[in-house]
Amino acid sequence: MRIGKWAALLSLFWILLSGYIQPLLLSFGAISVVIVLIVLKRMDDVDKEPINISSGLRMCRYLTWLVGQIIISSVEVTKLVWGPTNKLSPTLAKISAKNSPKKAHALYANSITLTPGTLSVDLENDEITVHALHKSSIDELKKGEIEQKITKIWGGNK
Amino acid sequence: MTGVLAAVCIAILVVIGIALARAFKAPTVYDRILGVNMFGTKTVLFIAVVGFMMGRPDFLDIAIVYALINFIGMVAVLRFFEYTAPVE
Amino acid sequence: MAVLDIISSILLIAGVFFGLSGAIGLFKFPDFFTRVHAASVTDSIAAILIIGGLLLQTSFDLNTAKLLFILLFLMITSPTASHALAKSARHGGLLTLEETKDGQQEQGQ
Repeated sequence: MRIGKWAALLSLFWILLSGYIQPLLLSFGAISVVIVLIVLKRMDDVDKEPINISSGLRMCRYLTWLVGQIIISSVEVTKLVWGPTNKLSPTLAKISAKNSPKKAHALYANSITLTPGTLSVDLENDEITVHALHKSSIDELKKGEIEQKITKIWGGNK
Repeated sequence: MTGVLAAVCIAILVVIGIALARAFKAPTVYDRILGVNMFGTKTVLFIAVVGFMMGRPDFLDIAIVYALINFIGMVAVLRFFEYTAPVE
Repeated sequence: MAVLDIISSILLIAGVFFGLSGAIGLFKFPDFFTRVHAASVTDSIAAILIIGGLLLQTSFDLNTAKLLFILLFLMITSPTASHALAKSARHGGLLTLEETKDGQQEQGQ
């Protein structure tokens, strides 16, 4: 099932990049997909952390929300760039990520980095070290709005 | 429309120039890598815009390949410097 | 000029403006970690706006899909790259502005 999903995704990707519907090129694509699937299987055996493709509406909603956040906070950072620099108050803080599922930690850290004004520096033992341009953005992160969103998508602590 | 695209191209080139200047002259080694990274992502956008300006959308393939190479190169260099960088 | 062209030009120019401010922030901000912030702004917002502007000029065929793929790829890799950069700087012993002020020895600058 999972392999089937990956196969569909990879085939779509091949057709997207090549754009030719000729038997020769399509068979090359099929061979490449099979090779990638074999490598994927072997890597999963080593890794023991199989990754599922999460599809659906909730991911799309999360992405649109994220883009909105990016626009809002990038305007703020741009103001800081063109304004006087003494308004900066760079801070380093540790944010707990205990409430979100372990699988989603990378997504969480990535979201933190993608919203400018905050940057995840390190991730260990359920704690994310975050560097922020402003003390206020740390407070906002501690409220855990992003974390709640992610927990909703990935279905709680497993 | 071509005029707007050309202006955008020139502006992206200016940004690339600033990023390269940063890569050549920076206080720490990490600042240089930061400059190179910005150079890379802006180059991807530049190739895409140039492709549209010249009416040759095949350039998008080159942009995809450049994005992939840029990312892998960045990670490789950072792996190398993670524990061995001389703090200048 | 059609309406789509005008919207697309506005998006492109806005994207370039954000890119330019990020590049200036690269020189203006006081320490390394704040400079990473400036770069991450340009990476995310400029990519979204410029590729969004180009999307409006395609005729919704294979090129649209390719552009969307470039956007998705940049959105995944650019925070990863900034994170890797910040992490390796931290492990390499670079201090933040605050820590430098707290009576440690002068660093970098």
